[in-house]
Amino acid sequence: MSGPEVHHLFHHPIADHSFSADRQTLAVARDNNVELYHRSGPKFVLKDELKGHDKTVTGVDIAPNSGMIVTCSQDRNAYVWEPSPTGWKPTLVLLRINRAATFVRWSPSEKKFAVGSGARVIAVCYFEEENDWWVSKHLKKPIRSTITTVAWHPNSVLLAAGSTDSHARVFSGFIKGIDARPEPSVWGERLPFNTVCGEYLNDSAGWVHAISFSPSGDALAFAAHDSSITVVYPSGPEQPPRAMVNISVQTLPFTSLIWNGEAEIIAAGYDCEAFRFRGGENGWDLAGSIETKHRPGLASAREESALHMFRQMDLKGKVKDDTQLNTTHQNTINTVRVYEGSAGAVSKFSTSGVDGRVVVWTL
Amino acid sequence: MANINWRTLNVDAYDPDSEVNFPLTTLLPANLPAPSNAAESAQIGQQVRQLLRAGDSLGALQSALETAPLAGDEAAKQVHLATVLEVLQGIRHSEVSRILSELLKQPGGTALGDTLMKYLYKGMASGAGGSGSKGLSPQATGASTGFSQIQGRNFGEGSGGQVMSVLLSWHEKLTEVVGVGGIVRVMSDRRTV
Repeated sequence: MSGPEVHHLFHHPIADHSFSADRQTLAVARDNNVELYHRSGPKFVLKDELKGHDKTVTGVDIAPNSGMIVTCSQDRNAYVWEPSPTGWKPTLVLLRINRAATFVRWSPSEKKFAVGSGARVIAVCYFEEENDWWVSKHLKKPIRSTITTVAWHPNSVLLAAGSTDSHARVFSGFIKGIDARPEPSVWGERLPFNTVCGEYLNDSAGWVHAISFSPSGDALAFAAHDSSITVVYPSGPEQPPRAMVNISVQTLPFTSLIWNGEAEIIAAGYDCEAFRFRGGENGWDLAGSIETKHRPGLASAREESALHMFRQMDLKGKVKDDTQLNTTHQNTINTVRVYEGSAGAVSKFSTSGVDGRVVVWTL
Repeated sequence: MANINWRTLNVDAYDPDSEVNFPLTTLLPANLPAPSNAAESAQIGQQVRQLLRAGDSLGALQSALETAPLAGDEAAKQVHLATVLEVLQGIRHSEVSRILSELLKQPGGTALGDTLMKYLYKGMASGAGGSGSKGLSPQATGASTGFSQIQGRNFGEGSGGQVMSVLLSWHEKLTEVVGVGGIVRVMSDRRTV
């Protein structure tokens, strides 16, 4: 296992990041803009800036096949950016929300995307050919508070959303004329728009930070602010779930998670490092941290001379320099994404956080 | 109309989007125990005390935590708090670590640990529950708790500081086992004790 590939881009929080399919372009949300970095050798260099939002950008997602970038911001707008000979061309999306947009993700089909917002709605957006613009339909009921995160089912119809009302929900985002009729699944058979296929609340009811369908789409995992991860195995439409496994951990809450196959989840958050969970329907367990404990910082701390020690004591009044965390990220991790491999078998994943670092990890 | 002092009107109450109109009951899970009252809590308290007197500290603590009136009224919660505080004080300091590790090893142990953490915070918030814990000799705690500075400060009324020091030493031991996650859950959980 090689060490992580660390890219310290700047000293600003990164709200969200996304790699293009060829992993040559990296989009990061920095303040009111989205910065596009291009890989050159081992490093990423700033190549372009997407300017258009006038408040903090909260989400960015690059569609893997079409290469279109969608961004959303606290200014209540979302833009779809398309490459053109004169640079990136933004198209405004009619979100019709009166609060900040909080999160955005393309559907796997890349014909739609979903925007979560503080207006207690999820805007499911699609391109209307005849009017030549992106329009949205709202998922409203029964959301009672801000949507913090959304995730698409592999069939591009079902949408999972986490909210600050502590519920994780599964909706149908079926758009007539855009989507093909989905195959019946454990979530339901007939799925008109805004069908609520599931609504889940764990016992200690922290608000939901992250949500994700398993690669098959038949299980749902969400991480909440009660330092726990809950995995739901539905049994069928209109029925209570077959199993709902809650793993309470000792660390601070997780803010983002991905599946690696059906039996592994990788989550990271306020503890500044990524953790691995393993299990299945009968129970899940924390399998430890992703970081190997041999970090460069620790090795240098060991070979300390007496002179160095006394100098530290004299200058700083302490022997150890404890201003650095012994994790790669030096602050909260905001986003975890698959970098290489498919959701069924992740070989590399990337994390970004408040410390301005984007790190690529090898599993 | 003229009598209404409109400056004191709570305008938020008329705004359906306002947080004061958020239905907090929606945050409660469906598997809450049935509502209970003070008399039931007192009865449970008796049983717990019997266990404690019989020397079964672990059993006493466990049954006190399992029967926490999560859906009870305020009086029931107060009575049960007194019971739990009594159990905590009744357990010798040297036994705390052993009892905690045994408690958390059982199935559903993490939930019990979270409940205990809630009681520790509630105990500290309510000035170490002056009620109910009177008349109980603090022989179990002694001065070996390592929080002498807090005992020295002596929070006004006699046993208050003593109870606080017991709670703090439990908190220290419990945090070693459940980590900061347990503290985070006290804050997020709507099933109050």
